[in-house]
Amino acid sequence: MTAASAPTSAPAPGTDANAAAAQQPLLEIDGLTVEFATLRRKVKVLEDVHIQVGKGEIVGLVGESGSGKSVTAMSVMGLLPDTARITGGRIRVGEHEVSAKSKRQLRSLRGRDMAMIFQEPMTSLNPVLTVGFQIAEVVMEHQGAGQGKAMARAAELMKAVGIPDAARRAHDYPHQLSGGMRQRVMIAIAMACQPLLLIADEPTTALDVTIQAQILDLMVSLRDRFGMSILFITHDLGVIAEMADRVCVMYAGQIVEEAPVKEIFTAPAHPYTRLLLRSIPSARHKVDRLETIEGTTPSPHAFPEGCRFHPRCPEMAGRCREPQTFERLNPARQARCWRAREILARLEGSS
Amino acid sequence: MTTGTPSLLRRAAGSDFLLRFRRNRNAMIGSAIVLVVVLVAILAPFIAPHDPERINMLAIWEPPGSDYLLGTDSLGRDVLSRILFGAQVSLIIAGSVLAVTLTVGVVLGMVAGYFGGWAETLIMRTVDVIFAFPELILAILVAAALGTGTVTVIIALSLVWWPGIARLTRSLVLSVREEMFVDAAIASGTPAWKILVRHLLPNIVSPIIVRASVGVGFIIMAEATLSFLGIGVQEPTPTWGGMIRDGLASLRTDPHLALYTSLALGLTIIGFNMLGDGLRDLLDPKVRDR
Amino acid sequence: MTAGAGERPILAVEGLGKDFVVERSLLGSPRAILSAVKDVSLTMMPGETLGVVGESGCGKTTLGRLILRLLDPTAGRIRFDGRDITGLSRRGMRALRREIQVVFQDPFSSLNPRLNVRSIIGEPLRNFGFSEKEITRRVGEVMEVVGLQPDTMTRNPHAFSGGQRQRIGIARALALKPRLIVCDEAVSALDVSIQAQILNLLADIQREFDLSLFFISHNLGVIRHVSHRIVVMYLGRVVEIGPEDALFRHPLHPYTRALIAAVPEAEIIEDRQRVPLQGEIPSPITPPPGCPFHTRCPIARERCARDVPDFVEHQPGRWVACFYPGEETPVVTVDRQREAASL
Repeated sequence: MTAASAPTSAPAPGTDANAAAAQQPLLEIDGLTVEFATLRRKVKVLEDVHIQVGKGEIVGLVGESGSGKSVTAMSVMGLLPDTARITGGRIRVGEHEVSAKSKRQLRSLRGRDMAMIFQEPMTSLNPVLTVGFQIAEVVMEHQGAGQGKAMARAAELMKAVGIPDAARRAHDYPHQLSGGMRQRVMIAIAMACQPLLLIADEPTTALDVTIQAQILDLMVSLRDRFGMSILFITHDLGVIAEMADRVCVMYAGQIVEEAPVKEIFTAPAHPYTRLLLRSIPSARHKVDRLETIEGTTPSPHAFPEGCRFHPRCPEMAGRCREPQTFERLNPARQARCWRAREILARLEGSS
Repeated sequence: MTTGTPSLLRRAAGSDFLLRFRRNRNAMIGSAIVLVVVLVAILAPFIAPHDPERINMLAIWEPPGSDYLLGTDSLGRDVLSRILFGAQVSLIIAGSVLAVTLTVGVVLGMVAGYFGGWAETLIMRTVDVIFAFPELILAILVAAALGTGTVTVIIALSLVWWPGIARLTRSLVLSVREEMFVDAAIASGTPAWKILVRHLLPNIVSPIIVRASVGVGFIIMAEATLSFLGIGVQEPTPTWGGMIRDGLASLRTDPHLALYTSLALGLTIIGFNMLGDGLRDLLDPKVRDR
Repeated sequence: MTAGAGERPILAVEGLGKDFVVERSLLGSPRAILSAVKDVSLTMMPGETLGVVGESGCGKTTLGRLILRLLDPTAGRIRFDGRDITGLSRRGMRALRREIQVVFQDPFSSLNPRLNVRSIIGEPLRNFGFSEKEITRRVGEVMEVVGLQPDTMTRNPHAFSGGQRQRIGIARALALKPRLIVCDEAVSALDVSIQAQILNLLADIQREFDLSLFFISHNLGVIRHVSHRIVVMYLGRVVEIGPEDALFRHPLHPYTRALIAAVPEAEIIEDRQRVPLQGEIPSPITPPPGCPFHTRCPIARERCARDVPDFVEHQPGRWVACFYPGEETPVVTVDRQREAASL
């Protein structure tokens, strides 16, 4: 399957963003292809992934399970297991070409220029170390501070992420904290060295809805304070609608649509995006029957020829079995579907 | 792969037991050795060149040669034939002990783990008491009390071994009992005994198999120790332990008896241990997905 | 919770409570008690879907297990179709297993990986004396109802996707033609597009077989879609019950308001409003005195810290446990994204 190179998309236009538009994007993933070695052969799990995140921008990476969104995040952080390998494209964070770096070089970048928070804070935190110490570790590692100074900074950070009674709670162990608190600790660890890029992989999925709202507010306030960029990975389109400036939709190891958040929700051009949005039950208004997508997500051993969504797509027609390139719909959005323009025109015509 | 692995990579990995078995060196070599030992034990009557109990005072302490491939012992009996038949003895005893301990240990462990209450207390305290004794000493005491012979050895070793199986089974049952499909079975009206047999047992079998295959090595060693001490299976039946004892006295002049018997014993134990290690790698889901 | 004219509720729960002892003193007397469910009363009419929603520690899962009698209540009564089932032993419940069934959350651990689909779905049938032939026939029948191919009944669960496994779980629940099915987070572990398939399926089978569904979920969108009436729980207690439409349009309890407002919606909403809640959900082992919600409630007053509000019928069909039901709560506008001029 030939990979098409996508033209670069500019960050969302707007008052703050005009300045950003003049700069290079902070995170640039360009044509990323990742292969996984199984017992029998190599399997491509990601193909030709393009994502850009400008300075201070929140980009949502959305997809269901098996779409490849977590693999993408791990590629950026250099956390892929040994059996997976980047075989194409490049990843740039700030001035660093991450894809070309060795493990040792990446380790110095991690925590300093780029940081990641995960879904299950209970398994990402060491249960036998106090939370204060785990935050202090990062400070000691990257800033060379002594333990006393680092612990003081840890308490400061815990306060900054909204943990009440921070100085005392720094001596607590992870199991003594609630889920929301643990996620705040994770964020404090990530923020310790004020990274340029924060990758958040399903950070609020395991949290209660009212706690989730607090954590999302926290993340945005930190972005406003430090001008940090966030790659926000999730399957929850509702969170994306409330958080992201721009959205990338992934399916079967590829990006299928990329657009500013307002446009993607009001007029989704790719059939997958559209069906996905219509299958979500809303708490605001009730529908009689939910739309569904026939079939299941393909396994990387058997990705369909051409457009990977075509066997399930209601708009399937002749050219769908050929390799798909990106259709540029406007300077800020594109979709991997040769019928995207037509679908968009139809949507706009009927509204 | 741990729970943190993206589902996309887990799907790509798939699973295939036979393929992994072939690639696992421990499992392959271990099972090869075990297979050889078992075959030897079964075919001993057919492949042994001499009668293992036939005494020939004219050929005592013969060194390894064309007539007696591994030499003879103090009574002129062929060492090779005795080693082959000794394998039979070891495996029959090990097999019997395994059968008894697995039956008793698994049943009691399941009862203790699933029903709890006084049954659990009774069973687990018994287990604790037996564990308090050093294994070998207990086996010797039992054997001394019951007299010598194959059956005594089997009883003694079973008594020593079943608590370990029971304890393992109980802890496995405690964790599988919490699985949702057990609740689903209860909600479907399935009676308790059926839940134990259909739902719990098949899901706890793997670690027990691993423990059993490593355990065989220990059982064979324990039997050899007992016969080395003169307890257990008696002459003229050949036992590896007994042969090593006989050979030790003449180690400096005629090492072949002790040497080759020890090699046979050692190789057998290594084979079972390797098989056990290999099976653990293959069957334990936490180790397996690395 | 008044019964309709002449119709008997299929499920009636009164003052139900369940305590777990989490810590004992050296002598064995309880030192720390977790009241997972406290003083819960509700009824369910035949053919309706009762949605039960709440966050961690609210007790909804425990409530489901109590109804299924997988747990023994420590207080209160449960009546199924008029019969008191509170004190029934395991054996006594067996006959009722035909009528009350369950679909669990995790499609991976709710099916025994060692059995094939026919054995899994057929297990309830086997327990009630169906012959092998009848089992095969019924399993095939029910597999078709849930959208699975009957000839796959010889396979093991790992050969199926998550959505299909959940269908197997539903088929198992349907096998004995029950009257009530408890769905415990039945769609929560599924991808959104699969979730929609299963929700449609549940709606279809409810209509076709006149089932009553006790539907537990933390997802308000899902709850709104499936439920006729909704029960909102917090820290082991019921705080509000009402018909789906009315409850979402005009929530009476401040927690219900905050919960509904906190759910992110997959659409662009100008001036999205939220009810800000301070602090964390209290631990159910040491619940606050008075109203359990008062520590986070934006309209809490003195009284709320002292007394526990009664659960009363505020309007016909609308029940709430609050001293100030229906009162306005302060709101903030959700404003997280940077302004972007649309093209």
